[in-house]
Amino acid sequence: MEKKRHIVLKNAVLGYKKSNTHIPVLKGINLEVYAGDFIGIVGLNGVGKSTLLKSLCGLLPALDGELLIDEVKINDLLLKDLAKKIAIVLTEKIGGFNLTAYDAVAAGQMPYTNSFNHLTNKNLEIIETAIKTCGIVAHQHKLLNELSDGLFQKTIIAKALAQQTPIMLLDEPSAFLDYASKHDLFLLLKKLSLDEHKCILVSSHDLDILLKYCSKLLIVSNNSIELINANEAKTNKAFLEIGGGFI
Amino acid sequence: MEKNSNIKFLVLIGLLVISCVLSLLYGGSESVDLGAITSRNFIFWQIRFPKTITAIIAGCTLATAGLILQVIFRNPLAGPYVLGISSGASLMVAISILTGNALHLMSDFFIGKTFIVLSAVSGSFLITLLILGISKKVNSNVVLLLIGLMLSQICGAIQTALEYFSDANSLKSFVTWGMGSLANTTNFDLLIYLPIALIFLVAIIFFVKPLNALLLGENYSQNVGINFKSSRFYLILISSVLTGLTTAFCGPIAFIGTAVPILSRMVFKNSKQHLHLVSCLLLGSIILLFSDAFANSAIKNISLPINMITTLIGAPLVIYLMFKNKSW
Repeated sequence: MEKKRHIVLKNAVLGYKKSNTHIPVLKGINLEVYAGDFIGIVGLNGVGKSTLLKSLCGLLPALDGELLIDEVKINDLLLKDLAKKIAIVLTEKIGGFNLTAYDAVAAGQMPYTNSFNHLTNKNLEIIETAIKTCGIVAHQHKLLNELSDGLFQKTIIAKALAQQTPIMLLDEPSAFLDYASKHDLFLLLKKLSLDEHKCILVSSHDLDILLKYCSKLLIVSNNSIELINANEAKTNKAFLEIGGGFI
Repeated sequence: MEKNSNIKFLVLIGLLVISCVLSLLYGGSESVDLGAITSRNFIFWQIRFPKTITAIIAGCTLATAGLILQVIFRNPLAGPYVLGISSGASLMVAISILTGNALHLMSDFFIGKTFIVLSAVSGSFLITLLILGISKKVNSNVVLLLIGLMLSQICGAIQTALEYFSDANSLKSFVTWGMGSLANTTNFDLLIYLPIALIFLVAIIFFVKPLNALLLGENYSQNVGINFKSSRFYLILISSVLTGLTTAFCGPIAFIGTAVPILSRMVFKNSKQHLHLVSCLLLGSIILLFSDAFANSAIKNISLPINMITTLIGAPLVIYLMFKNKSW
């Protein structure tokens, strides 16, 4: 069976716009990502990993070139439809205003609710499943800003799951986690990519963990990217240069 | 949890009825006897009635404007008064009274009022946009409040300067109006005040979902399919109209916009913004009605300024929240 192609980048220039001047970070980017791909994004600090992730989900419009999501140009997709295709997990903290872990996960169902955000039984079921899958049942009624870093991360991942998207983008989700939680997290992601054929892109500095769980690695360096199979990593020059040699 | 909320709402509705009665009967230097209310009772129908309705509208508009601002800035201490938005509206009203008198616009009731309302709304809109621009540069909630405070001082200073250039007639309207009062609104004024307030309060219903999403911040709300920038624009427009409108008729009323949403979150330990919208309408009205009744009956024959009471309720709440850091 042919795998579905979810993301296509063609000759893309990715970066920021500041008062009408373009600040390109990544140039001439070509990339194809398929269902079931579990890709670890690696690279030194400030090299453009977050820029890449934010561009892929439409938060940062590409400065040039083409970005197709499920073979449709991202600009031609309604925001609501894009929300059903890509879910993100970012490094920023949210909370306050009595927001609980449950509320955050429930937000994942927003693309599917009516304009008054009424949750039907079906919505509630999906939210509950996401909470169970991420193992935060006991903490779902706690306030977001009272959760530990690990639980907070799991909550936002549950939000992304509740969004029921074929694509998940995660920006350094393992940054503040203890060693065991890091493995838990990647086991969960691997399971999702295998069982539900989700296409998952995750940036991280934990090279050994990425090597162990991811199917492919996306190496970001010198304003460009390179996609390799995880089992070829140890012979790849770029990978060794960014710290892979220490493993 | 749902059942619990329903009981709380019933209590609030009960309080609203009580506070209405108190404000109608005791909201002046003379208390009105229930038996004396006939269709021709001048004090009741021409003074108390419009004042009570004004208190309700002012409470509703300022509280919801405050709720919207707190969500937009994701700052639990924001509000039209503390961010200088009320002062911006006041300044524009002062300017409009001055130029309006000079241009003889004020002689016609509707033209004059429309002119004042429009200037108040534009004043609050401009200050909100300014604060929004500043909020992108500063990360701290407290710094943003301090900047709002400074903006409000600047608007106040310009207003004081304007008073020197005004004739006795305009000066009187400035000063009495600038103190903030619920008593300056007549039944005629309500014909303008009430419908505009209603239209914009109802308009918020269409933004309940964005309000809930905006709490997650720009990136996450975009990612769950909410157009962050356009919803924020419309919400700012609505809160500006609500603040400007009430400031045009009542002058700047202190702290209702900040305190009521805070109270609402304390009463309903919940993050659903549609629930807070309803409770802000109720709590805002209740607090202003009680404040009005208290201001007029606490000391015999003396009517205390309404802002004194609302500040005494609101300011301690803000200080309390600053100490209780975790809810930021």
